[in-house]
Amino acid sequence: MATTATITLASADIAGDPVSVTKLMTLTKAGTTNDLDQSSGLNRVHLRSTTNKVLLGANAEGNDLAAKVYIINKSEDASLYVTVTINAQTVGKLYGGDFLFIPWSQTDTDADIEVAATNWTSSTGDIPVEYALFHEDTDFLTNA
Amino acid sequence: MATTTATITISSTDLLTDELALSTTCTLTKTTTSTGIEDTTGLNRKKITSTAKGTASGQITLYTADDFAAIAYLYVKNIATTAGHKIYIYDDSTSGDPIQFQLDAGDWGFIPMHGDKTYKAYSPGGNDPDIEWVVMGTDQ
Repeated sequence: MATTATITLASADIAGDPVSVTKLMTLTKAGTTNDLDQSSGLNRVHLRSTTNKVLLGANAEGNDLAAKVYIINKSEDASLYVTVTINAQTVGKLYGGDFLFIPWSQTDTDADIEVAATNWTSSTGDIPVEYALFHEDTDFLTNA
Repeated sequence: MATTTATITISSTDLLTDELALSTTCTLTKTTTSTGIEDTTGLNRKKITSTAKGTASGQITLYTADDFAAIAYLYVKNIATTAGHKIYIYDDSTSGDPIQFQLDAGDWGFIPMHGDKTYKAYSPGGNDPDIEWVVMGTDQ
């Protein structure tokens, strides 16, 4: 039941020599080589709030269990961004088209992943955001 | 102007009853523009010998706050191959040094950062894992 995530960073001209980094990760349960076996599937929401909204709720049972999160800002407007916070700490800022992929450590029940359409206004239109969670705990539920 | 892309592919033939095949590419640009980023730290690799955050020695500084203008893109990977040999990344510029990410062996992360926090890494298990990372964006 292997799920893999591969990232490729590529540039022909950001440095004197071409940059090409490709890394594959097999998504496994914490501390083991057993595959992660649960997923939220790919979700899509439309943000229209400048204040934080819970995208993924932390679970006390999740501490020290493996979870990987993918989030992408699907807006085609490069000026609209989504702020991603965990435990009230800003961990990412996604402008239109940007994505993040992180291991999510639910160190406590305050470790929700929250998002905000920080510079949204009624005239900018909604910011579509897609996300997926891959995890090992049966109790994780998305509440978006 | 440089052209730099990041592509992620998530795939599985058996996690779900339908095949999972997600792939997307973003072009890394200067904030709110279509101009490509031009600066990078290059790919770094170091061994982590610290088992604690705070004042302990042997931690690795991945990024120093405000070294790059927003947005700075961080790619980081735990090179260890033994499951359980974790690397913790914490925010050294916030009170309490909160842990931001825990990378098990082989894990990687890709994060568009606001760029205003200092990130450091340690390994709580004392396994001395290697870490690789690169920051790309606009130096300032």
